[in-house]
Amino acid sequence: MMHEQLDISGLVKRFGGLTALNSVDMTVGSGELLGLIGPNGSGKTTLLNIVSGYYKADGGSINFERRPVLGHAPHQLARQGIGRSFQVTKIFRRLTVLQNMLVAGLSDGAQSQSEATDRAMGLLRDLKLERLAHERASSLSGGQGKLLEFARIMMLSPKIVLLDEPFGGVHPELKRFMHDHIRKWNDSGVTIILISHDMGSIFDLCQRVVTLSYGDIICDGTPEETRNDPAVLDAYLGDHHGAA
Amino acid sequence: MKLQTLRLLGLGLILLVFLALPLLLGDYWVYTITIGFYYAILAASWALLVGYIGRISFAQAAMAGLGGYASALSVQHAGLPPVLGLAAGVLVAGALGFVIGRLTLRLHGAYLGLTTIAFAEILRITATAEYQLTEGSRGLQVEPLLQDGSRSEYYYLFLAVTVACLALMTWLLRSRVGLFFQSIREDEDGAASLGVNVTLWKTVAFAISTAFAGLAGGLYAHFVQLITPSMMSLQEMGIVLAMAVIGGFHNVVFAALGGVSLQVLLEGLRELGEWRLVVFGLITLLILRLMPNGVFGTVADVLTDRLRKSGDDK
Amino acid sequence: MSLVAILEQALNGLIVSSFYALAALGLAIIFGVLRVVNFAHGELYMLGGYAYFLAVASMGLPPVVGIVVAAAALAAMGALVEWLLIRPVYDGRADRPEEYSIMITFALSILLLNLANSLFGPWPRRPEPLFRGGVEIGELIVSGDRLAAAGVAVVLIAVLLAALRYTWAGRAVRAVSQNREAAAIFGISVTRVGMLAFATGAALAGLAGALMGPVFNVVPPMGVIPVIKAYVIVVLGGLGSIPGAIMGAIILGQVESFATILIPDPSRALAYKDAYGLVLLVGILLLRPQGLFGTKERRA
Ligand SMILES: Nc1ncnc2c1ncn2[C@@H]1O[C@H](COP(=O)(O)OP(=O)(O)O)[C@@H](O)[C@H]1O
Ligand SMILES: [Mg+2]
Repeated sequence: MMHEQLDISGLVKRFGGLTALNSVDMTVGSGELLGLIGPNGSGKTTLLNIVSGYYKADGGSINFERRPVLGHAPHQLARQGIGRSFQVTKIFRRLTVLQNMLVAGLSDGAQSQSEATDRAMGLLRDLKLERLAHERASSLSGGQGKLLEFARIMMLSPKIVLLDEPFGGVHPELKRFMHDHIRKWNDSGVTIILISHDMGSIFDLCQRVVTLSYGDIICDGTPEETRNDPAVLDAYLGDHHGAA
Repeated sequence: MKLQTLRLLGLGLILLVFLALPLLLGDYWVYTITIGFYYAILAASWALLVGYIGRISFAQAAMAGLGGYASALSVQHAGLPPVLGLAAGVLVAGALGFVIGRLTLRLHGAYLGLTTIAFAEILRITATAEYQLTEGSRGLQVEPLLQDGSRSEYYYLFLAVTVACLALMTWLLRSRVGLFFQSIREDEDGAASLGVNVTLWKTVAFAISTAFAGLAGGLYAHFVQLITPSMMSLQEMGIVLAMAVIGGFHNVVFAALGGVSLQVLLEGLRELGEWRLVVFGLITLLILRLMPNGVFGTVADVLTDRLRKSGDDK
Repeated sequence: MSLVAILEQALNGLIVSSFYALAALGLAIIFGVLRVVNFAHGELYMLGGYAYFLAVASMGLPPVVGIVVAAAALAAMGALVEWLLIRPVYDGRADRPEEYSIMITFALSILLLNLANSLFGPWPRRPEPLFRGGVEIGELIVSGDRLAAAGVAVVLIAVLLAALRYTWAGRAVRAVSQNREAAAIFGISVTRVGMLAFATGAALAGLAGALMGPVFNVVPPMGVIPVIKAYVIVVLGGLGSIPGAIMGAIILGQVESFATILIPDPSRALAYKDAYGLVLLVGILLLRPQGLFGTKERRA
């Protein structure tokens, strides 16, 4: 039933003298809800940026649905089914909420404007943004912006979604709402990789957790195993910025 | 729905006025407004680039000059009829725009501004230096577009082309392409993450914008029948920028209206001598500072707001 | 080419470099602190020329005083421009600050150019220079006004560099250029330093104009070409870098001085003289946007 959807092997990324990813190997099965954790600067965002085509890798390979994808441009990867969010939301502030959705709906040229509009309105309804559809995105609150970013990604009908710190600065009620949606999304068959500093969310949502430290995977296991792994504790305690 | 009708009504009214003007005005003003149409297309083409996809360029006037020279020279040396000359001008300007757009993909903001200034100046200097071909700063005689065309014939031709250009731009910008442009303006990385081919559209936008500029320049050259490198100068670019900013550069039609009306105003205030350009510069600063949507953009916003409110009251 | 001819070209290049450096440094300081490319820099340079002209030719002040007057006038003008037009770039009032900064300074340049045209007329003026006559250095003969202007420019640049290094205000300027957030945390008022930077940058442009005006001509479009050189220089050295700007000025002076010899047809060579730097600028921006000496900026 579950096949290997994303296969990362030997991935290396350097910034000048700094090795941000040090030969990372990781496979993600289709339909998984995977947590990616690690102290600040451990390479989580870098990994996500490479998988989604924003950074070039210095070595290694990535297969998505059994096809090599390293070196593909971000928009190609988005069309192939890799959706992502950004640590700082990148909504189009001077476009309306609906237009934000349509960019995603129309970018591959497969849908007509009216089909895309219908689908967009449906998704906005699910996320309780329907009534704001014709407002400029700049008028949204921070939390609504995060939801819009979610909705836009869904508009792509992705096979896998990479979420980078989606709960940063979000109040508890909204966080619960987002949890429900992430679960619903995952239940409908979408693979999800969730980066978060919020251990509560990670342990709540994920069946499997991968821990990065200084560009190395130091633990890959269930939430239970991760919690009890001394290496993980070490990595976090050694981090003076106090990530957790 | 009602808003849409009102908008069309407004545009229809403006068009009617322009259609009627030659019947009311003397030759001098008909000539002036015809030149105004040149600026209208040029300002709109600049707005298409800056206002929609958010790429700054100071090469628009130079591109108009390039289109003008390409058209004039291909008529002169290859014996093309002026209409085909215009097409050649469009192609040359569009092609160079494509190349510049492609080369400058990674540049933003001031870096892009500086690069386009350099391209513009290189073009102007080349047009001046290659005097065997271009007659240098003395200027090149150009075949007329219409044999024995009257002032009002030129006027109506320019009006028709301007309207056609604006219709084409509006159609493009209202399609999904316009949406992609704006998403790139708002956030390139965000747009790419939603499947928008940022590289492609940034290049295409430059090419389309410069192609329109090339058309404007060709029309101008074959109308005035003289072309000099000074039409490619940064001062000319400043005038085009001011026109688009004053009209409202987030809308091609407003930018175009800015082009015609300021050309008319500048001629009308001729008595003020050089001071009229000072006033013009001052207005541009004030608009940029206080009314970023431009005069027509702000008027349209206010009207839209009123209409919404009165709609809500009922 | 004889050795003397080569030396002469090299010396000419150096003299030109010192003027270029003065104008370019102002651009670099403004960019460093405010992240704004001042597209009106050429017109501030021109106004410096006119301030000098008014002081020396109309009011009969001695040339040295004329230069001080030009610097003071342009510093005041720079502070005013910063307060009225540039501040929205960083205090959140402009919706799209970068686009705004580019357009507002470009529009300002058009305004100032036309203002000068209206106020002073399009005629070239030639105020008395600092020094007249020729200077002989061995076999080389250099015109005295140029050499004097270049000498003053070099002294001014040295003073500026010292001020940046040893005065509190200079250190604040460098701190904000390097790291705005950190500077703010250490209690440096970014607003005040921004105004100081723009005023200093304008004063440097004005000084360059005051020194160059009498050597060439004081005329409204006199800033158009020098400012493009200044763009080339700051791009060569990396936008915002002060040592980079000085290196860039030296390189451009030499390139222009020697590249003219490459095209045999002299009138063509002259016509293309101003294009070399531009080709250099395009090349650098496309291949190495951080400049010849800069390090790559981090992607956010
Ligand atoms: N564009 C970049 N340029 C230079 N260094 C970078 C860049 N992006 C990330 N880094 C460095 O790579 C390391 C990993 O960063 P990142 O992936 O953002 O960490 P995380 O998301 O786990 O907090 C950090 O040391 C960071 O400073
Ligand atoms: Mg991160």
